[in-house]
Amino acid sequence: MATEVKLPRLGQGMESGTIVKWLKGEGDAVKKREPLYELDTDKVTQEVEAEADGVLLKILVDSGEVEVGKTIAVIGKPGENVAAEDVAAEDVAAEETASGNGAAPAPESEEATEAEDRPEEEGSPAEAMDGERERGRQAAAATAAAEPVAAAGDGGGRVKASPLARRLAREKGIQIAEVSGTGPEGRIVAEDVERFQSVAPAIAPAGRAAGEGEVEEIALTSTRKTIARRLTEAWQAPVFQLTVSADMTRALELRERLVGRLAEGETKPTVSDLLTKVSAAALVLHPAVNAHFTGESIRRFSVAHVGIAVATPSGLIVPVIRDAHRQTIQELAAARAELVGRARDGKLQRADLDDGTFTISNLGMYGIEQFVAVLNPPQAAILAAGATIETPVARGGEVVVRPLMSLTLTCDHRAIDGADGAEFLRSVKELLEEPALAL
Amino acid sequence: MPELTYREAVRDALSRAMREDDDVFLMGEDIAEMGGSMGVTQGMLDEFGAERVRNTPISEMAIVGTGIGAAMQGMRPVVEIMYQDFLTLSMEQLVNQAAKHRTMSGGQLKVPLTIRTQGGAGWSPGAQHAQQLESWFVHVPGLKVVFPSTPEDVRGLLWSAIYDDNPVIFFEHRLLYPLKGEVPAELAPIPFGKARIMREGTDVTVIAIGRMVPEALQAAEEAETLGISVEVLDPRTLLPLDEEAIIASVQKTNRCVTAHEAVTRGGFGAELTAVVQHGAFDYLDAPIERVGAKFAPLAFAPAMEQWAVPHAADVLEAVKRTVARA
Repeated sequence: MATEVKLPRLGQGMESGTIVKWLKGEGDAVKKREPLYELDTDKVTQEVEAEADGVLLKILVDSGEVEVGKTIAVIGKPGENVAAEDVAAEDVAAEETASGNGAAPAPESEEATEAEDRPEEEGSPAEAMDGERERGRQAAAATAAAEPVAAAGDGGGRVKASPLARRLAREKGIQIAEVSGTGPEGRIVAEDVERFQSVAPAIAPAGRAAGEGEVEEIALTSTRKTIARRLTEAWQAPVFQLTVSADMTRALELRERLVGRLAEGETKPTVSDLLTKVSAAALVLHPAVNAHFTGESIRRFSVAHVGIAVATPSGLIVPVIRDAHRQTIQELAAARAELVGRARDGKLQRADLDDGTFTISNLGMYGIEQFVAVLNPPQAAILAAGATIETPVARGGEVVVRPLMSLTLTCDHRAIDGADGAEFLRSVKELLEEPALAL
Repeated sequence: MPELTYREAVRDALSRAMREDDDVFLMGEDIAEMGGSMGVTQGMLDEFGAERVRNTPISEMAIVGTGIGAAMQGMRPVVEIMYQDFLTLSMEQLVNQAAKHRTMSGGQLKVPLTIRTQGGAGWSPGAQHAQQLESWFVHVPGLKVVFPSTPEDVRGLLWSAIYDDNPVIFFEHRLLYPLKGEVPAELAPIPFGKARIMREGTDVTVIAIGRMVPEALQAAEEAETLGISVEVLDPRTLLPLDEEAIIASVQKTNRCVTAHEAVTRGGFGAELTAVVQHGAFDYLDAPIERVGAKFAPLAFAPAMEQWAVPHAADVLEAVKRTVARA
């Protein structure tokens, strides 16, 4: 019995993934747990392993975006028939959303030939052809069932969309195949394009104004699209910001001492690591801020999984240091260095990104004095840290110079009230100013 | 504003024209003493006399032919064909003569003839007295085709028909005759080729004619309770057709339903659909739905008759299909 390879859900909220390339070809032997293909999800690119031993009989989706749960390939015994009826009938949608077509053996029946020969260019108005097309497809599937490994999966290509949806997609520079349809029989209607538009950023118009010079047009990666979608969502939340300045004199002293005690090969702790430590301690003290807003409820957490915003070549990514409240500064530094390293190499796994309860974004190393971070939903708060700057301050009637760091907390007001945010931020400030209290 | 029934509005337009203009006169079966089989011309014999309200033999060919002759001689005759089913008996005169003379004579002749007729199901008139044949005449260059749905429109458009220099087939609907509506105190002619938005909406345009206009308005009311905003457009004249208004409406709503009492197949809805798909192709978010009668000779049995012809519920169903989410 052949095994269908279905697109797995690799994490909460994953709805689709983009097949980058297959690591095995049709006819290749595969072993369970052997890498089978590369998958680009909205968070990471990773290799997906085979779940069965056998031969890769058929690749149904060569590349492109596929919904979770769709069959993308079939593994079976050498020479085994592909259960084509099932695959063809269930996965028309998957084929239609995929941008590529797997090479398929020549179809055997006349009906199949007719179906396969149909022009497939997007925008073909041959709606009326669909019934006939479907008959052709079924005929092809029937033939495939009778012949070993016949043309089951190829064909597809045509996307069912209303003329209005097509026009909107054209105007907004959206590939219609990337939109999933909710209309009758899965037809893409205008609303689907608009919804897609609201979660995906507009792509620069293809036209180029005269005299503007060269325009670099950058296709959006999955990561970039996700950033855009999530930040657009986050932008709609009613937020407020609170700002304090923390005197970093003692924190910097502590860091110096920790650096001085480093063993060979250990990671140097940074101001960020100190901030992670005290934030985690403060989060446990103030669960109101250590929360998710789900729309239906507010989920407060007793553990602090702290996300660290990292700039990578493909865009912003937020790996999570789990149980940050239980770790020493040195452990946090090691965890941070490891995650940041893998993030920059594009080697993060889905699990590295899940379950964050709070996020810290630090632009201090760029000399930024103060800034406002955008929420990382469903998290209810995010902390923006600026540079530590020598600043004249009044102390006991005297002006003295102290290293101050500005901290701005962005709170989702649907989950957090001003006083909750203020108490949390006061704790962070106190702990930075007296780091020993965080122990 | 005064209120008139649809029937009174027709009579009002005829009477006013005849008072003002000696060239206007009526011919038809039983229109004089009897006042017409639908009572439209009741009382007009007394006011205008037998010269101008003329009973004819039972020959539709003769009625239309005589009208054409009088029209070409400079009169503005209004002839009545008792049931539009009987237009079939005058097709030679309508299609081959009335429609052609102006062009074939290089404009030397004109045929300012109005052919009033009525029809429609709803009272068991049977298969030979209930057809809706308006789409037949839309196919004939040289004719004009009018199908009003309100007292105000029927009066204003009939006036324009009488004073149009071309033959006009003027459809009235049996079930609309008793319907009341406000009309301006002064008769205001309504130009041909101007549609009327009967109700504004944003989600779907229902293009309805004749009896289906009030049915569509009722469907729109019900749709509103479901959160669907329906625009109802009455083209009022099918030839010429206000394509601009139709396209503009569908470009706004992105969805379209056509509704007439005539059978769906080959009905005027097909023409409307073609106009819409071409003019608003890139604006359509759903297939255009057509509402019409089932394709069968109309039954006499009331239950079967009602089953065969469309109602507000059918329009509502079509509206729902266009906004359907799978």
